[in-house]
Amino acid sequence: MSIFYLIYIEFMIRINAPHWLIFALWHLISFIFIAILLVITVIILVLFERKYLAFYTRRKGPNRVGTYGCLQTIADAIKLLFKENIEPKNIDKMIYYTAPLLVFSPIMTVWFLIPFTSGIIPFDSSCSLLLFMAILSIPILATLFAGFSSGNKYSLIGGLRACTQAISSEIPLFLCLISISILSGSMNLDSIVKMQNDSIFQWYIFPNILGFIIFFISALIVMNRTPFDLPEAESELTAGYHSEYSGMKFAMFFLGEYALTFILSAFIATLFLGGYNSPMGFYISDLLNLPIIFQEFLKNIEQFIWLMLKTGILILIIMWIRASYPRLTTEKTLIFSWYILTPLAIFNIFIMAIYKLLRSIL
Amino acid sequence: MIKSFILPIKELIKGLYTVFKNGFKKRVTLEYPEKKKLLNNNFRGKINYIKENCIKCGICQNVCPLISCIKIDTDFSIDLSQCIFCGNCVENCPKNALYFTKEYELAVNNKEKLILKEDN
Ligand code: SF4
Ligand code: SF4
Repeated sequence: MSIFYLIYIEFMIRINAPHWLIFALWHLISFIFIAILLVITVIILVLFERKYLAFYTRRKGPNRVGTYGCLQTIADAIKLLFKENIEPKNIDKMIYYTAPLLVFSPIMTVWFLIPFTSGIIPFDSSCSLLLFMAILSIPILATLFAGFSSGNKYSLIGGLRACTQAISSEIPLFLCLISISILSGSMNLDSIVKMQNDSIFQWYIFPNILGFIIFFISALIVMNRTPFDLPEAESELTAGYHSEYSGMKFAMFFLGEYALTFILSAFIATLFLGGYNSPMGFYISDLLNLPIIFQEFLKNIEQFIWLMLKTGILILIIMWIRASYPRLTTEKTLIFSWYILTPLAIFNIFIMAIYKLLRSIL
Repeated sequence: MIKSFILPIKELIKGLYTVFKNGFKKRVTLEYPEKKKLLNNNFRGKINYIKENCIKCGICQNVCPLISCIKIDTDFSIDLSQCIFCGNCVENCPKNALYFTKEYELAVNNKEKLILKEDN
């Protein structure tokens, strides 16, 4: 149990709150935490990506709204909010309106599973690894829904591409998770993080570097990021599966994409780069002589910053890749993930099993 | 076999490095209303007219490819909304009464304003 939870329980019992309220309110608090975090990260990420791509392509990026364009995303969001709701002619209404929600809500749910600090784990489950991947496969269904219900051939092709691509990339993704499970002997994300806490050499990237690379590439495919952004290839398919959506419905897809990019990067950081653990092996707050509550509080903040730093570096690399490489064709992506990534991932499981065996013997 | 694996990876890393180097070069964006592009000396912008030099010979009217662009009856006037900035009138004027400026922001909300009269 984290110290925050204990303080919360203590406080609620003191003011004689009923039992059901205590538990309901705790979940509400974590929901609000996640929602605020999500909105803030997406707003920062969208602006940052535009600025960062401008950096690589010798442009200046947005610099009109606010100082250095810092309010650009907010202005865009307001514009999207007040747009007219345009409804194309040949749509399948029910599915058409479900799809944006179905993209966004699973991605938001997945945010609850990440251990942000040792004290903040919004939803702790013994098989959160499995849950993570299970929930993450729902947005793909939504992209198919969106493509299918729009009544537009480009949308349909985009939706189908998203579906085939996601199926082929999720298999290496799962296989890499198995290798992590073998190493840690657990499916709980928090205990996976705790296993990597001693020093930088305890991180799973060191025995499992092949797994890291495969996971990273497959995650790029799942996120529809640039070398693999076939479902929304704007030069061939206008905008792929969301070309018929506008206003807030489009914003949902957009928000979902960036939220997914962030959370998958955080997930990679959690699995391979030690999660919220400090790479130095100790926390600065531990060295200070403070009362235990303050110390714990500072430590949590420090852990949060470490996780965000690792995630940030991964996002930098992802955006760098976006600035550098052209798009693959459909069959090349499929051949790549079926013929190269999947066999390598299976091979990686064998290596990890042998590694684990040798470590337990020696 | 190994070479066919390593070569693409090398090329991919080279690509990343090339893009990275771009980040430290000079920006090519010009923030338009504040900063403007440097123009050539022979840029053909708005035409100016020097009344004192003109002898009303009518050569400019004759060489102009458009019929009603330049009008010389009592007053001299050029309609810039029709002018194609070909430069014939400027080159053929015997007294150098016409010349090009570098002004190119000629958008107005009334076409009448584009007619260059003698008195201005
Ligand atoms: S050619 Fe020159 S001098 Fe002759 S009418 Fe035209 S502007 Fe005047
Ligand atoms: S620039 Fe050409 S089109 Fe314009 S007024 Fe002179 S001759 Fe006529």
